[in-house]
Amino acid sequence: MLFCGFSLIFIHKNPTISNVSYADFKYLPWIASALIVAFIIEVVIVKTKSRRCAWMFSCACFLSCLGILAIARLDYALTIPQIRWFIVGMAAFIVVVRSEKFLRRLLNYEYVLGILCVVLLMLPLIFGVEIGGNKNWIVLGSFRIQPSEFAKILLVFFLAAYLSEHRKTLDLRKKRLLFFNLPPIRFLAPLIAIWGASLLMFVVAKDLGAALIFFAVAVVMTYAATGNKSYFIFALIFFVTSAIISYCAFNHVKIRFDIWLNPWSDPRGAAYQIIESLFAIENGNVWGAGFTKGYPTFIPEAHTDFIFSAIAEEFGLAGSVSLIVIYALLFYQCVLISLIAVKEEEMLLIFGAGIMFFLQTFIIMGGVTKFFPLTGVTLPFMSYGGSSMVSCFMLLGVIVAVSRKENVNV
Amino acid sequence: MYNIKRNILRITAVFLVLFALFLAYVIYLQLIQSDYHAHNPLNSRNSVLSDTIARGAIYDNRGRIIAKTDEDGLRYYPFGEAMAFVTGYADKKIGTGGAENYFNRELSGKTKDLTMMGPIGELLRGNQGNDLILTVDSDCQQAAFDALDGRRGAVVVLDATTGAILALVSSPAYNPNRIVEEWGALNEREDHPLLNRAVNGLYPPGSIIKPMIVDLALENAVTDEHELFTCGGSLDVGGGFSIKEAHDGVHGNLHLKDALVESCNVTFGALAIRLGADNLEKGFKRYGFYEPIRGEIFESASHIPEFKTLDRGDIAQIGIGQSMLLVTPVRMALISASIANDGVMTEPYLMEKTISPKGIILTEHKKKELSRVMTKERAGLLKDWMEEVVLSGTGKAAKVSGIRVAGKTGTAENNSDKEHSWFIGFAELEKRKIAFSILVENGGSGADTAAPIARKLILSFEK
Repeated sequence: MLFCGFSLIFIHKNPTISNVSYADFKYLPWIASALIVAFIIEVVIVKTKSRRCAWMFSCACFLSCLGILAIARLDYALTIPQIRWFIVGMAAFIVVVRSEKFLRRLLNYEYVLGILCVVLLMLPLIFGVEIGGNKNWIVLGSFRIQPSEFAKILLVFFLAAYLSEHRKTLDLRKKRLLFFNLPPIRFLAPLIAIWGASLLMFVVAKDLGAALIFFAVAVVMTYAATGNKSYFIFALIFFVTSAIISYCAFNHVKIRFDIWLNPWSDPRGAAYQIIESLFAIENGNVWGAGFTKGYPTFIPEAHTDFIFSAIAEEFGLAGSVSLIVIYALLFYQCVLISLIAVKEEEMLLIFGAGIMFFLQTFIIMGGVTKFFPLTGVTLPFMSYGGSSMVSCFMLLGVIVAVSRKENVNV
Repeated sequence: MYNIKRNILRITAVFLVLFALFLAYVIYLQLIQSDYHAHNPLNSRNSVLSDTIARGAIYDNRGRIIAKTDEDGLRYYPFGEAMAFVTGYADKKIGTGGAENYFNRELSGKTKDLTMMGPIGELLRGNQGNDLILTVDSDCQQAAFDALDGRRGAVVVLDATTGAILALVSSPAYNPNRIVEEWGALNEREDHPLLNRAVNGLYPPGSIIKPMIVDLALENAVTDEHELFTCGGSLDVGGGFSIKEAHDGVHGNLHLKDALVESCNVTFGALAIRLGADNLEKGFKRYGFYEPIRGEIFESASHIPEFKTLDRGDIAQIGIGQSMLLVTPVRMALISASIANDGVMTEPYLMEKTISPKGIILTEHKKKELSRVMTKERAGLLKDWMEEVVLSGTGKAAKVSGIRVAGKTGTAENNSDKEHSWFIGFAELEKRKIAFSILVENGGSGADTAAPIARKLILSFEK
């Protein structure tokens, strides 16, 4: 109950700030309905699920609200769509949580999951439209959908199912390839297929960020399931070689890397975004420039990939550190929930979802701060975009659905 | 099951460490590096602040406006080109330069304290920027700009005691009132009107280096005031090379004082050889040639050759300010100010005060002594000898009756046909001691071109 109260404070507090800043109140009914939905879900979770789940849902709502505020401030026209996506996301969350039995059964059909995942990834390659340099969109009527966002969920499912099924086989040291302990190739094939798919996605669709996420999630989950470091080393070699090859072969990769090393070589051209992002973050200082008092609109695409920079400028170190801590706690809760799961595949599933959140957060936050080269992925729950919002809530739904009801009264 | 749990915990630990590293990096960015790019001209936060805030005015040391914001929000510079390299410019598209750039935060009404307070500071801040009072004297600045008369060159005038910059002129200049429209053309012009020659121009000093060589020679006791030098018009430096006097003159027998007054190349070439690489390097270090001025003005690093690698001929050339030696006009002004200030070099500065819209003094300059470059006695000696240059030597054109004026001319050979004309020195006015450095590119002899400009500068204070 305590967390329920917290979430309400979070949700209430934030829209009031936006009330002050924006004279137009068209979005109020939307916010009201969003709040009601969030409140009902919160109550239901608190009654039926574990305290941790309630806590995670509050976190997600808080992040979403903060995201909505930041977007409202950056580009007012996008406010209502984003609130709408927030509501749709929560609806998707309910559906996923209610279909608990279906999800558990789904874990038995690993090959179906794998094929579905690849199909989903292939969709945009065939019917795709290129938006913002990435050919990873499909257009359905008036909606534009990024199937790769949803493929992420299927990927976690597939890996969890497949790895728990074949864990023993994968860990058997039957063949020695050079100095690696590797199982027979037919057991490895699906994994290699996933790596291949991510590589293909990267080459054809130019979606570097998603490819990186897919690859990394597959590697980390494989290690979690088998504990075999060979996979890890093998993946590392694979990653380094493909990175070097793509650095030489693809100009956009080379530019990304070069501007990370020395953004000042072309500050008004290729490095424009990252330089503006750095200016913004540094302008934030300790307490921030103040909400609506900074200039995050200088950063192109601030409402999607660079939303962290916008928050860091206006809320300062206080804001950025809180964000990092919240995401870290979200990940940590996922891990704790996964540890008390009964079945292997469920444990892997929840942990995989946690990794998915973590990697996305880490890759984009690190990218916009020049911690490492920038690759465009969305910041879970905060970035503008329906596909990202809905898929994040669905992933969260999966965690909540599969998690065991425990520690309710602790 | 147990294995998976163990693996999960391992991965979690690694990931949380990564997060912690990232957290430390963000703290570094926002806390320690926060100020690092605030002055960067590409940071459009600088110029855009003026959208919401009426940018403060800039005044000279007599209270005359040298930059202000009009009712229509445009920036106006009453002195135009003459003050271009003092005021700089501020525009959203092309960025900021000069004082407009360096003091942008003050002019926009922000101070470091307010920035640290974040949103609370935003509330405290008004919509009127702070005013700036600079050290420049608009009369002297205008006189210097007029005296250069469109020729390529630079003038720096300092208050020898405090380090206050009284004039900072570079010619040709851009007009800050029209810089946006003319930006493209200014960038293409071959005489580089956007280059601040006073602090970023690098020139061979020629004979104006000689007062410093006198100090080094006496300091290291390679000669004394009584030694009699013999000038036969040419100094053989070995390898078939020799150093000659200007106009093929011959000075005969002379003391060090006369060598300075008559600018005898043979004597100074010999002194440099006697000093040798080590003493020269130590001397140039003491005079700050290896540490360009940073902060309010951004001096280019002087080009000082690696003395140890020079042969005898090049060492001798250093003694007369040639060889590979390249210096900035502001550096030479600092040296003449040090002589006038009894041997102490003071940091040059441009901002006297910042004043809030309500008249409260927010910041005030504090005098900063950089180092003592020579003893008080040596400074006194050089003052007398340099005065002699103006009274009876090559600097006669700078003479102003009733005022003690001292100086040294320079006629620096360079890779074009015509020499650069130099004059450095100081004058003891009623109110203050001023030190100056004047350069006219390809202006010919220092006596004919640069020295008369010094006279005009001194007279500008007597109005």
